[in-house]
Amino acid sequence: MRKFYERICRLEVIVSAVFLSASCLLIFIGALARSVDKPVNWSQDFSLFLFAWSVFLAADVALRHDKLVKMELLLLKISEKSARIITIINYLLIVVFLAALAVYGVKLSFISYRRVFQGIPGFSYTWVILCVPVGCTLMIITSILKLKNLFQSCRKGV
Amino acid sequence: MLLVTILFIVFLVMGMPVAFAIGISGMAFFLQHPELPFTITVQLPISQTQNFAMLAVPLFIFAGNLMNSSGITKRLMKLSSVLTGHMHGGLAQVSVVLSTCMGGVSGSAIADASMEARVLGPDMIERGYSKGYTANVISWTALITATIPPGVGIILYGTVGEVSIGRLFASGMLVGLLMMIGLMITVWITSTRRGYGAERKKATTKEVFSAIGESIWALLFPILLLGGIRSGIFTPSEVGAFACIYAIIIGAFIYRELDFLKIARTLGDTVIDVGAIMFIIALSGIFGYGIPLENIPKLLTDAILGISQNQYLVMLIILGILVILGMFMDGSVIILLFTPIFLPLAKAVNIDPVHFGILFCTIITMGNMTPPVGLAMYAVCQILDIPLTDYIKDMWAFFFTVIVLVVILMFFPRLVLFLPNLLFG
Amino acid sequence: AGVQEAPAQKQYVLRFNHVLTPQDPYHAAFLNWAEAVKERTNGGLTVEVYPSAQLGVEEDILEQIRQGANIGQNTDAARLGMYVPDMAVMNAPYFVETLDEVQKLNTLPTVQAWKAELERTQGFKVLSFFWVQGFRQTVTNKPITSPKDLNGLRIRTPGAPIWQESIRAIGAIPVAMNYGDMFSGLQTKAIDGLELSFTATSTGNFHEVCKYVNETKHILLINFEVISSKWFNSLPPEYQQILEEECNKAGLEVSRQYLEELDPKNLALLKSRGMTVIPEAQIDMKAFKAAGEAAYVKLNLQAARDKIYAEMGKAK
Ligand code: NA
Ligand code: NA
Repeated sequence: MRKFYERICRLEVIVSAVFLSASCLLIFIGALARSVDKPVNWSQDFSLFLFAWSVFLAADVALRHDKLVKMELLLLKISEKSARIITIINYLLIVVFLAALAVYGVKLSFISYRRVFQGIPGFSYTWVILCVPVGCTLMIITSILKLKNLFQSCRKGV
Repeated sequence: MLLVTILFIVFLVMGMPVAFAIGISGMAFFLQHPELPFTITVQLPISQTQNFAMLAVPLFIFAGNLMNSSGITKRLMKLSSVLTGHMHGGLAQVSVVLSTCMGGVSGSAIADASMEARVLGPDMIERGYSKGYTANVISWTALITATIPPGVGIILYGTVGEVSIGRLFASGMLVGLLMMIGLMITVWITSTRRGYGAERKKATTKEVFSAIGESIWALLFPILLLGGIRSGIFTPSEVGAFACIYAIIIGAFIYRELDFLKIARTLGDTVIDVGAIMFIIALSGIFGYGIPLENIPKLLTDAILGISQNQYLVMLIILGILVILGMFMDGSVIILLFTPIFLPLAKAVNIDPVHFGILFCTIITMGNMTPPVGLAMYAVCQILDIPLTDYIKDMWAFFFTVIVLVVILMFFPRLVLFLPNLLFG
Repeated sequence: AGVQEAPAQKQYVLRFNHVLTPQDPYHAAFLNWAEAVKERTNGGLTVEVYPSAQLGVEEDILEQIRQGANIGQNTDAARLGMYVPDMAVMNAPYFVETLDEVQKLNTLPTVQAWKAELERTQGFKVLSFFWVQGFRQTVTNKPITSPKDLNGLRIRTPGAPIWQESIRAIGAIPVAMNYGDMFSGLQTKAIDGLELSFTATSTGNFHEVCKYVNETKHILLINFEVISSKWFNSLPPEYQQILEEECNKAGLEVSRQYLEELDPKNLALLKSRGMTVIPEAQIDMKAFKAAGEAAYVKLNLQAARDKIYAEMGKAK
């Protein structure tokens, strides 16, 4: 199980990195193509699609590595135990928030299937929306694992 | 929005990651308004990422990381040390000048700050600049980048407010240069006081030329970017992609320091940076939704004209409000929401729309450098791993400089309007 | 005259979003509509107008409308074409040429069937499409008198397929670009021109970056005011009628203003600012109309067009 999750995490980094570099390449090619009078309009659109996915996957990577910015003014001033309790509350709120986004993300994916992405015939906006439930589900897993660690260190009384 | 604001502050104090503090407090508005489809909370963050101009942000982050691993930064550092090492706060001065050069290329203060945090930040810290000071120099000088054309904020203001973008650009040019001078003076004074002095003797001409020769590809970089835009090959939104490709080509084929493994590792770092920064931008979409619904802009207008009809007083009040708004909200959102409110107000008391726009955009962009919500500040602190407390401690000299500059510009419209009047009559 | 017996005096609010600025004549027209509705319903139904896309992105709002929210949006046939594909024809080149024709469209069985389909299967209620925003003209740095002159020119258009194909059909290379990028795009030659109404060209100050405005009149831009059919049906019948009637009225008013007042006025303004105007008389309109046909072929809209023309008694 743990092995499987580690594999998912690796895959997440790779997909996010590949999408980001692909959108970079697409924009570059798009600009060159336009300068030789052969504009490929879909390059911009597709790069935005890749961008949305890479943002929500990358957010989970950042969360897992504790790289999301926060103000730690208060937490540094109170006792370690109280700080840990506040952090647990934070993660519980985050899990509820992410769950709401995930559930309504799935709902919106169903509702918006007729919406065409950037006017590209046959490309439903649903494929963009899905990055939210997928990214949020991954972030829920990350947060729960973090909560587990917090509870464990609480019990140990460290 | 009162509940939203209170919750936001509470979450921030609780040390919740800023992205979630923004998102969760913003979501509270939708719980108060059951008539709104809750799916909007999913639409808004996605729409933030579906903005082509926004793509410049991650691409310049990537480009900055690539310049590090391709050896471009190293050579640029050597050159800057040769050029400015003998001055007070030499590297900090480099940041000012570099941001000015980047101004002609990048339209985003956040992107410039992110790039320089990678390129200059570690070196500054290594050479003894305090972490907080380093972060401030890098993020505040990025204000110059946003002011010198092209600038995303200025284009947005001109479009929403139907103000000539050509005139705005022309005045941004001069104001950006004034900003550069102002910040150079500030850096000079603060560096002297902090003892960030010369780290070497003045370089010989031979040394200078040798350093220029070594870093010629890095020096050509902004010129090529600028050339790419001026010749129309790239729009300002696309130029970040060119920056990435250029850095890869130079690093792999000319300096021969970049191989596939290094590119992959750089991408891995970039993913974390992009995730941290873009997630805040995405969730900030949820946050501002309630502002137009509760008619907050209109309430503000009536209140201001109720206080005074004096041109300068009205302007001071507006700019004061914008300073506060800028602290909490994303710049482009403020421009979209408040241009339609404040511009007619400014016109009503005979303030020139170009003059107003430059001050407006400067103040709003400054919000990126101030707590509690400052995206450039977050970007720099996150990349350099600096606590916000350190940042805030060293912030005031820069804050003061920009405020003084804005006040001077406010009382001397001719300074702002000189270039546009010269060019456009 | 007010409505005497509003059931249980329930208050209704419609939040209406549009992407135009508060200075745009359309914004004033929406406010006029809101005022008239408020007056005739004795304040029972309020329309709140939000300019500059304050409530969000147009496509997002359309999805919110489909979910039954009390939200409305000013949109176009290109976007409604996502939901009822044939409707895109109303955004095609040289489809209709006068405001009278637009009004006539609403009486045709085919158009009524489209509206019914939008309502039944998608949850959209079209309140009115008598909102004509003038003719789209080409704005360039060289004079355009025939489709050949547009060859190789990169003209900015909105992203939707019907826009792209319409511009390709009349000879140019369509480039999808954000509205906000246009000015710098022209300055840096990333694009060679635009296609906008005289009024939009003037308010956007595009005389600073373009020398010619060519009266190609390739699209008469029809806007649609849509709200949720679920919410609409929840209104008292009198309110429904008032909302629709006043929307048509305000739309016709601003459309006439656009065509008879604003566009000519802004055309004169553009001339006075030094732009060269190539008038319709100097343009090979026959060649342009023939070229426009390609857009109908490409997007499979010929049948829809022919049906409409037959019902209207309009010659091709
Ligand atoms: Na800098
Ligand atoms: Na700039």
